[in-house]
Amino acid sequence: MVVSPQDQRMRSPDPAHSGDIQVAGAGTPIRQSSLWRDAKRRYVRNKGAVVAGAIFLIILAYCIIVPIVSPYDPDEVNFQDRFLPASLAHPFGTDAFGRDLFTRVALGGRISIMIGFAATFVILVIGLTYGSISGFVGGWLDNAMMRFLDALYGLPYLPFAIITLAIIGGTPTKWTMVLALSIASWFTAARIVRGQIITLKQNDYVRAATAVGARWYRVLARHLVPNTLGVLIIAIFLELPGVILGEAFLSFIGLGINPPAASWGSMAQEGRDVYRTHPSLILIPSLMIATLVLCANFIADGLRDALDPRTKET
Amino acid sequence: MIRFIIGRILWTIPVLLLVILMTFLMMRHIQGNPFRHSERAVSPEIQANLERKFNLDKPWYEQYFLYVKGVATFDLGPSLVLRNQSVNDIVREHFPKSLELGFLAMLFAVVFGIPLGVIAALRPNTVFDYGAMLFSNVGFAVPSFLIATLLIYFFALKWGDIFGLPTSGWTGWQSKILPVIALGLGPMAYFARLVRGTMLETLQQDYVRTAKAKGLSGRRVLMVHVLKNSLIPAVTAAGPLLGFLITGSFIIEFIFAIPGIGKYYITAVSARDYSVVMGLTVLLSVIVIVANMIVDILYGVLDPRTREVRT
Repeated sequence: MVVSPQDQRMRSPDPAHSGDIQVAGAGTPIRQSSLWRDAKRRYVRNKGAVVAGAIFLIILAYCIIVPIVSPYDPDEVNFQDRFLPASLAHPFGTDAFGRDLFTRVALGGRISIMIGFAATFVILVIGLTYGSISGFVGGWLDNAMMRFLDALYGLPYLPFAIITLAIIGGTPTKWTMVLALSIASWFTAARIVRGQIITLKQNDYVRAATAVGARWYRVLARHLVPNTLGVLIIAIFLELPGVILGEAFLSFIGLGINPPAASWGSMAQEGRDVYRTHPSLILIPSLMIATLVLCANFIADGLRDALDPRTKET
Repeated sequence: MIRFIIGRILWTIPVLLLVILMTFLMMRHIQGNPFRHSERAVSPEIQANLERKFNLDKPWYEQYFLYVKGVATFDLGPSLVLRNQSVNDIVREHFPKSLELGFLAMLFAVVFGIPLGVIAALRPNTVFDYGAMLFSNVGFAVPSFLIATLLIYFFALKWGDIFGLPTSGWTGWQSKILPVIALGLGPMAYFARLVRGTMLETLQQDYVRTAKAKGLSGRRVLMVHVLKNSLIPAVTAAGPLLGFLITGSFIIEFIFAIPGIGKYYITAVSARDYSVVMGLTVLLSVIVIVANMIVDILYGVLDPRTREVRT
């Protein structure tokens, strides 16, 4: 948003959109990438966020690569090798069935992270739809929709995820988990989007677009929704911790992913049976969750500085 | 002021009705039926009788109406699975333990979280600050089941001889220490971070500078001007935190084998005991809604600016 208004007006008939969002496309790409370059500069200045981002990427890479290159079959049971301590061959040791924990944790991470991002995606889609309708239409509809949202805030999160799982029925899979977790937690995203849309609606370029005869759907699709991208990217990392922890909780109390498939939560649950003798079995998956959640919090902080400097926290 | 409070209280009625309706409609779509056990065939006549007894044969809006009437008179209906037990009995038996757990955890969070935040804010960018914030970040990220397991491992088993704390149960005060800490640590971290943030902001305010300039003692400025205004956001946070405590208590009760509502909830879901799940969900929702209402009213009292905006 450092691009000056004059610059924008000269390059494109659609200043807000091209200046803020489009990186490639019509106009001069060097100038127009400045928002992202500024954002990157502000992000890099936040050391915690940089470190967190790096750790986050390392965990992602670990979860993706290790199962591919690992010499061990993650599901092969071998009772001779059960509860081996950490060694070069098994960096995390082995579990109660003699399976290599280094490989299993990576696979569990795939499921946990996949569920986390998928549920976050669903949350953002619902939130974007609900929030932009509410914020854009305004008036009594906005009022009614926000009151409805207030009411939904009264729903306790975990019970509703559990009920949703029960409604879907059968043994929970990745996708039913995604559905249950997102149904119970899209409210905040909807609020954020609505707030952003309402702020954006006051902007001159939106009024200008309406004045030159742009239809409402064009204003919405070209000017308002794309400009929520910044808050949406922040919201990804704000929502992710809650979803990942929620999945872990559900799996931990035995209502989540079933064996032999495993997430970090269900692995922690298995590890709890033997925590007195082999604490590493619950420690490792739990610490993975904790690290990921911690990183996501710091990344969200950094992204807020980078993409939404006006609402900077003290 | 009175109008604001009455308006806020009246507003909870449609919210409650809506939440009960949502729970009700969701419960109706749960797969399976408590009376259709595969291992025990029930004749169609008995099936029909049972459904009549529990009003399951009536149209859904009538069931809903009957249910709301029940809730209004504090009668959550009979349990579908446990004969001779009503949902009220179950609530009466299990709920006080959950309530006590949640209350003690909240107390723990307030008593330790707020001073931690204050210390961090008074000494910004020092070891205190970094230590407190690191602690608060970690406390919020580590899943409560790990905290609970570690607490049990160290304080009940490894150093059990020194501390003598039991690994589970909810009987004497010794058995309550570990669950309360395990549940309260997350909210405590949250309070610490919140109080630090708002306090740093308050310290920048003009009225604080004025108070200092007119020669008030540091303690007085802190207590009267800074602390009072810094705690308002902490009050607002208490509502959502209650939801957090309820969610967290499911895990904590599960791990410490506390016969509270969270532990019973999981049993009831797997037993498809509709009326119990429904009753407990409604109960939890009511608690959250009422807590939010109290928080809003308190907020309105503490910060008059918010009164006009809401309701």
